[in-house]
Amino acid sequence: MTDTATVAPRARRRSTSMLRRRPFFTLGLAVALAFALAAIFAPYVAPYDPTFQDIEFMMTGPGAQHWLGTDSYGQDILSRIIFGARYALAIGLCSVAIGALGGLVIGLAAGLSDGLVEWLLMRLIDSILAMPSLIMAVAFIAILGQGVDKVIIAVGIAMIGPFARTVRADVMQVRVQLFVEAAGLMGVARLRIIWRHILPNVVYPLAVQVTIRISEAILVSSSLSFLGIGVTPPTPDWGLMIAEGRGFVSFAAWMSGMPGAALAILLIALSLVGDGIREEFDPKLRDGA
Amino acid sequence: MLLMALKKVLQTVFVLFIVSVASFSLLKLAPGDPVEIMLGSEYSAEAHAALVRQLGLDQPLVTQYLDWLGNFVTGDWGTSYIARADIFTYAFVEALPVTLTLAAFSLGLAVVLGVPLGVLSAVKKDTAWDAGAAVFALTGTAFPSFFLGILLIWVFGVKFGLFPVMGFVPPWEDFWGGLYHMILPALTLSTYFIAMIVRLTRATLVEVLAQPYIAAARARGEPGWRVVWVHGLRNIAMPLVTIIGLQLGTLLQGAVLTETVFSLPGAGQMITSAVLGREYGVVQAGVVMTATLFVLVNLAVDLAYPFLDPRLRPR
Amino acid sequence: MDKIDHKKVLATRIAAGLGRRAVLKGMGAGLLTTAASGLAPRLASAQSGGHITIAALNHIDTLDPHFTGFLAAIQVINNIHNGLLKIVYDGKAVTFEPDLAESWELLDDVTHVFKLREGVTFHDGTPCDAEAVKFSLLRVKEGEPASPHAWKLSLLETIEIQDPLTIKLTFSKPYAFLPVALNGSTGRAGTIVSPAAVQKYGADYGRNPVGTGPFRFVSWRENDAIELEKNPDYFEEGLPRLDRATWKLMKEPSSAVAALMAGQVDGMTDCPMQLVSQVDAFPGATLYGEIEGNYTFVGMNTRKAPFDDINLRRAVAWALDRETLLKQAYFGRAIQAFTPISPPMTGFYDPEIASSGRGQWFDLDKAKEFRAKAANQGEIEAVYMMSERGPVGTRVAQTVAPMLAQIGIKAKLELIEPATWVQRRNAGDFDLFDFEWVADLDPDETLFPEFKSGGAWNFPGWSSPEFDELCTQAQVVLDVPKRAELYHKAEDILMDEAPIAMMAHMPVYKVLSTKVQGFQYIPADLLNLHTVSIG
Repeated sequence: MTDTATVAPRARRRSTSMLRRRPFFTLGLAVALAFALAAIFAPYVAPYDPTFQDIEFMMTGPGAQHWLGTDSYGQDILSRIIFGARYALAIGLCSVAIGALGGLVIGLAAGLSDGLVEWLLMRLIDSILAMPSLIMAVAFIAILGQGVDKVIIAVGIAMIGPFARTVRADVMQVRVQLFVEAAGLMGVARLRIIWRHILPNVVYPLAVQVTIRISEAILVSSSLSFLGIGVTPPTPDWGLMIAEGRGFVSFAAWMSGMPGAALAILLIALSLVGDGIREEFDPKLRDGA
Repeated sequence: MLLMALKKVLQTVFVLFIVSVASFSLLKLAPGDPVEIMLGSEYSAEAHAALVRQLGLDQPLVTQYLDWLGNFVTGDWGTSYIARADIFTYAFVEALPVTLTLAAFSLGLAVVLGVPLGVLSAVKKDTAWDAGAAVFALTGTAFPSFFLGILLIWVFGVKFGLFPVMGFVPPWEDFWGGLYHMILPALTLSTYFIAMIVRLTRATLVEVLAQPYIAAARARGEPGWRVVWVHGLRNIAMPLVTIIGLQLGTLLQGAVLTETVFSLPGAGQMITSAVLGREYGVVQAGVVMTATLFVLVNLAVDLAYPFLDPRLRPR
Repeated sequence: MDKIDHKKVLATRIAAGLGRRAVLKGMGAGLLTTAASGLAPRLASAQSGGHITIAALNHIDTLDPHFTGFLAAIQVINNIHNGLLKIVYDGKAVTFEPDLAESWELLDDVTHVFKLREGVTFHDGTPCDAEAVKFSLLRVKEGEPASPHAWKLSLLETIEIQDPLTIKLTFSKPYAFLPVALNGSTGRAGTIVSPAAVQKYGADYGRNPVGTGPFRFVSWRENDAIELEKNPDYFEEGLPRLDRATWKLMKEPSSAVAALMAGQVDGMTDCPMQLVSQVDAFPGATLYGEIEGNYTFVGMNTRKAPFDDINLRRAVAWALDRETLLKQAYFGRAIQAFTPISPPMTGFYDPEIASSGRGQWFDLDKAKEFRAKAANQGEIEAVYMMSERGPVGTRVAQTVAPMLAQIGIKAKLELIEPATWVQRRNAGDFDLFDFEWVADLDPDETLFPEFKSGGAWNFPGWSSPEFDELCTQAQVVLDVPKRAELYHKAEDILMDEAPIAMMAHMPVYKVLSTKVQGFQYIPADLLNLHTVSIG
């Protein structure tokens, strides 16, 4: 790779939209949007009621009537996948929102405080990080009970640790920068400094993290289903469908294979989107690329 | 230096204390009674009361915690409630080495597969190779590990009969046997890391290859492979080590599922079954053990930085 | 005492109706035919040695027979220990035979005399004599800490050692449950443990079990394996054939099936319903399993609204489409249960029950009729708690929910983890749940403790003095048809008042590789390996 080769596309890049410059990002975005649309319009798109049990068609393979086959209750897998997109996106987005918000608060507090308070907050973050998040989720589920909302809370709480750590690291970086110190010296109110100067610099890297963590949240929730303590059946949740179908892998692989593929496609799409955003906007990567 | 070390130790102890209090209270907050679980469905109320008394579960929670703490720090980890397993043997002697072995093999596999793929991606940036490597890495992360494990078992274990599908052989007794039994579980657990290492390697290398000194090296006529592997990879060690430290929690979490699917008697399986069975002592031991591991590894990562990056060496 | 005399005496006593009540029909015949020849088919050419590995899928709590609450533990315990009696199965009927006892006599209907085998020693070398038997029985009955099975021997009044190998037990009532209580398997109360080992290990006996059985305990690694090795001094000559037996503890059933197909394990202690057809289709393994002494049901909480309403309960009982349930929840492997008494209870179970008009079955019109009589005519919301437990997990709940919707009951399915489920079940914190009572051999144990007014296992909280009275009467009736009549009356009350809606009698499976020979199937969830060899 020569120098001219890298310069030329960069010059072109500036003038075209991100969608055209980053085909993978565009593809990922399109797929993710398709899932989102399917989720929103599920009742109109899905060919069947996702929890209708058709005893005549138990464990039928993919075919004309049931495009992606049926599960062991005779429920249409395609319809369940379409409705399942709702739960996947809800779990992914909501639990990450909880984690990010909690992480932001604790991380900001830890980054901005001094002395004993900082020390205690840091140890709190360390402690949350040191407890395996799946184990924590299991414990929270045991306390809260089960269901989609409980899964969201359990997964979200378990995510506070990693977010808090990132936020704190960013706060520490921003805090020592000249403009912040200058503002402090000029007597600008503390809250205003946080609001005007620190938060914007912290929220942005957080947003990049969010795209990556959504996948993780969906995966953790499906792991809970594997352990038998996640989303309540017969909710058309992908993780639950994969977990329920695993006993039939050797002769009815579509039962967990189809939702598994849906999950994989969505996660790949999301991480393509995440990568695209990161590469486009992360100053460090942008200069390098 | 001594003061630093002392401070670190104090921090670690404090973190472990919080972790143990947290896991104890979480579990006690959860409904469920270990005695009801251990008695099955056919028992009398007297038997239940007697067992509760005998196990000290009728004591106030603070007393229970302090009793546990007192015993734990003096090396008496107790026994599990009904199976009467010695918790120290169970957790530390039997389960921990299994999980450590699994983690080590998985990390090894991830590095062995992830770094070359990442290099390929970076060198052949924006080509089909790059896309292929990205898709390969991403696909691995997009499956829940229990599902991936079951797929691997059916394809490579049953259909082709290539690898064992269960069991643990200690590699310190039989290295090749241990490796053989670890291939499928390690592959299952490492996919997440492979993807991460591919991305990391690619990003770092892309950045490095754009640096002036690389151009200089090329200009000097150094061969392409040497530029990449010597100059480029020198920069990967540090982020790699950092990631490993940071993601150890994820690894242990993945171990729970992988161990269950492959019937490995490790710490992950131990803690989950103990949480579900309300075996408070076992959970405590397991959580403190993994938390210690996490803290120690991160400490080691901190200590390793100066060796990996000369700029960080104390002057 | 001469063996033949003993048989004569016992046979006469059974025939004369003087002896204990036959728990199952055919017991006398079993005693006569097999006691003389010994148990094992002696295959001169059968090869010795070998190591069997079996995937153990269910929870094993302790190897202490007097403290365990789990059948999966009994499977292992039974290979390490013997009881005074044992269960034998000839393909048609289950019978009880002396095991450690050489003979078993009844002096009258409350006095049992056991003469023990000579020269039997525990794995630690101490003799298994009358003192040891007394020790074990007392450990169950009044030991400290209290055994959860103490109630099984509550009618035992005196234990008298007549000579070192003869022991006389006197009960306060003619005791129908005795053979089960004494038996080393489902009863758990009559298994004989080494007194020396109990003294040595105390509460840790369950980790260091010492019995007289065909295998000695070697090690138990949590979540990994339980290892047993051959007991060379076992009292049944030529047995066991295997050198070692490993119970590989596996949590994930689909992995166990894969391991079986890959040849890494030689068997499975259980086979979940959804995997049965896969295993059945696999040529390398044999599936053992028959309908056992069990029944599954949807239970309703009769202590509070809405199911304190008898008509609503009846509506539920008639609204469940059993055919669909059998197909969807049990993969067509179970049979419909009309009442709790199950097929292995010969003499009590009516093979023609489907056409007898007794019990509960699916009749939507009838269900709607009862629903119309119910106090609450609006849509009723009921909490149905379920858990990933039992033979079919949440499948029953998922299949039942749409059926309840047809009679205007909205089942709110709540998935909770097993520990919480157990607690809520015991505390009566539910409207609906499904459950199964398993491994019962006698109508008394299948009905009375489960539905006795105020009983600890009576989770629906149902109470009927009439039912209690009939069951209590039946306990002291000796004649099988008369006893059966009493239980049938009791069942009719239970079915009519419908604290439960009956579903199925299930098969309980064992899987062994075709390499394994000599396994004797017993429909009491046992996996005895003493006659097994591996090729």
